[in-house]
Amino acid sequence: MARDSKTPTSKSGTTAVSLSVNGVDRKLVVGQHESIADVLRDRLDLRGTKIGCNSGECGACTVLLDGVAVCSCVTLAATVSESSVVTVEGLAREGELQELQQAFMEHGAFQCGFCTSGMLMSAYALLSQQRKPSDEAIRTALQGNICRCTGYVQILNAVRDAAARS
Amino acid sequence: MNASPPMYDVVGKRLNRLDGAGKVTGAAVYASDFSLPGMLHGRILRSPHPHAKIMRLDATAARKLPGVRAIVTGASQKLNRFGNFIKDFEVFATDRVYHIGQAIAGVAADSEYAAEQALKAIEVEYEPLPAVFDAIDALAQDAALVHPEWQNLKAAPIINRDGNRCGRTVIKFGDVEQGFRDSYRVYEHVFRTSPVHAGYTEPRVAVAQWSGPDQATVWCNAPLLFDTQSALAEIFGLPASHIRVVVPGIGGGFGGKLRLGMEHYAMALARAAKRPVRVMSTSEEELTAALFRQPATIELKTGVDREGRIVAKKGRIVVDSGACSGSGPLVASTATMILAGPYRIPNAEIEGVAVYTNNHPNGSVRAPSGPMPNFATESQMDMIAEDLGLDPLEIRMRNILREGDIAVNGQKMTSVGLAECLEKAAACIDWSQRKPEQSRGKGLACGWWMTSRGSSGAYLKLMQDGTLTMMVGVVEMGTGALTGAAQVVAEEMGMQLFDINVVSADSLTTPYDFGSQGSRTMFAVANASREAARDLLTKMRTRAAKALGADEGALEMREKAFWNGEKKITFAELAAQANAAVGGLIAEATYIAPAVEHGAARVQNHFSPSWPSPSFHVHATDVSVDEVLGEVTINRYVVAQDVGYAINPTYLEGQLEGGAVQGVGQALFEEIIMVNGQVQNGNLTDYKMPTSMDVPPIEVILVTHPSVAGPYGAKGVGEPPSIQPPAAVANAVAAACGKRIMQLPITAEKILMD
Repeated sequence: MARDSKTPTSKSGTTAVSLSVNGVDRKLVVGQHESIADVLRDRLDLRGTKIGCNSGECGACTVLLDGVAVCSCVTLAATVSESSVVTVEGLAREGELQELQQAFMEHGAFQCGFCTSGMLMSAYALLSQQRKPSDEAIRTALQGNICRCTGYVQILNAVRDAAARS
Repeated sequence: MNASPPMYDVVGKRLNRLDGAGKVTGAAVYASDFSLPGMLHGRILRSPHPHAKIMRLDATAARKLPGVRAIVTGASQKLNRFGNFIKDFEVFATDRVYHIGQAIAGVAADSEYAAEQALKAIEVEYEPLPAVFDAIDALAQDAALVHPEWQNLKAAPIINRDGNRCGRTVIKFGDVEQGFRDSYRVYEHVFRTSPVHAGYTEPRVAVAQWSGPDQATVWCNAPLLFDTQSALAEIFGLPASHIRVVVPGIGGGFGGKLRLGMEHYAMALARAAKRPVRVMSTSEEELTAALFRQPATIELKTGVDREGRIVAKKGRIVVDSGACSGSGPLVASTATMILAGPYRIPNAEIEGVAVYTNNHPNGSVRAPSGPMPNFATESQMDMIAEDLGLDPLEIRMRNILREGDIAVNGQKMTSVGLAECLEKAAACIDWSQRKPEQSRGKGLACGWWMTSRGSSGAYLKLMQDGTLTMMVGVVEMGTGALTGAAQVVAEEMGMQLFDINVVSADSLTTPYDFGSQGSRTMFAVANASREAARDLLTKMRTRAAKALGADEGALEMREKAFWNGEKKITFAELAAQANAAVGGLIAEATYIAPAVEHGAARVQNHFSPSWPSPSFHVHATDVSVDEVLGEVTINRYVVAQDVGYAINPTYLEGQLEGGAVQGVGQALFEEIIMVNGQVQNGNLTDYKMPTSMDVPPIEVILVTHPSVAGPYGAKGVGEPPSIQPPAAVANAVAAACGKRIMQLPITAEKILMD
């Protein structure tokens, strides 16, 4: 996901970035080490995005970056200026849960819930691109999101159901 | 036993969980989300040696680095040793390290990055010492001692130890040698299993803050509030009440967080820095310095008669505790029951041994004593069946425990749903077609487990809006245990599930609880809360009768009100009245499962000699093996479990599916690869956990033989589904391609190896 920053890096190693986060424009000065996950959690207090492995392997930190599901813990904020980021906090509209969130609740698609934010974002990215994904497509879309609790069965059911409802 | 159960309004229903909305919107707060103003970040320096003397430790340069606020070493703070059964853990090493990954120093700094830089600047010189890495080697007379001073380490009286042996349990009855002489055939095999990680997704984390020289609060993700509190009190030499343990939320545990994680480090650093400190385990630390499931070596000798009935069983399971005993002695002890299995056995001698090595200390993982001995005993059952020309289902049907049988621990079995589990699992997997095609076969495995005892308390109060608040000292691990307990309370109170507000996981405000472990959480908390609810209802009824000027007996309770004919007083009105007049309506109750009789003469040094509210389970699977590539594909997977009663079938199924998939991970690919005490695959790319791509179609069958002690007959359910998968898969692989795997995991290499 690395890309050329449109804004120059200052001598102090910081970069000014502007991001649309859940539809709100944010202007921030970020350090070289700061990932999108760090910015979301520590700078914007959006802690729904979780950090599990912090190395792009578990998927708990998944957010949408310009509509694509990415691991926000290994994507540097300084490289994504002018992008749009959607997090789990951006799914419900005015308190109204998305079909996907509702389906996760009804199917018991989470237990501890720590992977859920990332899981929802991966599933949301899929359903935004494919209205009626195949089972294979659902499994593939979620393969980067590790869930130890559910064994995925009820997650897959929830995503199928959300797709059928939409 | 399976007459159609009475219908209830709230229990038995697939209701959405209480903590659901927060978890799908990102609002739920986990321990790793918790922060305090002025909080520093801690990191831990760990030993690169499996066994060495610390010759020099110098943190002078590190202290001078920018942003560094405190450094703690074994010499700089006097901290007591700790450990659940033997005091063999040190917070920071003093003069010697005995495993790779052992903590030597902690740094608190303005950022994790600054703390990390400081770790690199701490100078340590070591002089390596001889080390031992294999548990069987460690038992040899001339083995290097992991703790040469072992006799000086305080231990619980139940621990039977000697040198590197840090625990030994025996179940013995009948005459096993005579039994072997009387047997038609005797089978002897050795099985081995590898360490695996619990696999929780939220790393272990703690934020500590001292509010005075002898008072601290720790926010962490520990499932056992009160055990954590006492361990910290012991380490810091403080009264337990001076340490408050709060769990804001937890991202999985599966046993892996039962013992201290980061709490002690955070407390030591916060004390030194005089600021709040957060310590979170890194991904690498999680896979190299976490408390794994013990690897085990299992020797098993079984004698049977011509019909395949067990005549005698002799076994020994040796678990590698690592350099500190951790959960090892308990795991080895309980493993004796699993190694015996849910079978009629006239003569037995089963031994469980825990051993120190210079590997990383191990802990508890979901059904800590389960999968290793079950893999051995259930694999051997199939090997015996094959040799005798018996169907693996039939040999089990001839040997399983049934209602009224005496188990190996001398306990009389009641509410035994095992035969039904076997029949239903076999029917579901279409057992009569065991070999549907070339390279494809089916396998099954039986198991049993207990609902752990330990007590629970509950406080209830009626709220001014007519709802009820329930305060309990457990942690909602995600199983839905507290939703289940709340369903039980709601049923009792004539309320709806969402009328129950649950407060939990604060050692200061909630009642004592043995904690979220041992498949007991919903069972014990629901029993305590239900008792409290009955008491509260009695008080409410008395006040309602007075208010309505009626006899208590004449009152009818419905729609959250008491009625006398047309006149009513609502719960809300009752609460408001009582709040104004007498300090509200509150109730409390405690619960511990009744003791179960067992044959005391049969057991020595046994941690769990009786088996309260036992559960029974059968897993069956249909696999295909690619005989060129060695790849195993699970075509179908069936879990049949005697759950007693399903308080909320959705979350019960979630437990069984999730547990089975976790077990399939251990069966097929999960393995912490350790070479000379050093983990070789310390990341989630090389340590493989099941993903959405690996999950087979799973069918869950709930068998319900109610437990007398359980709420509505429920039995503990959380741990058992992780027990049987390795054996079920191994048996299916053997049926598919004729290759019998004796060591977990069942990798392609092992399948292809001659």
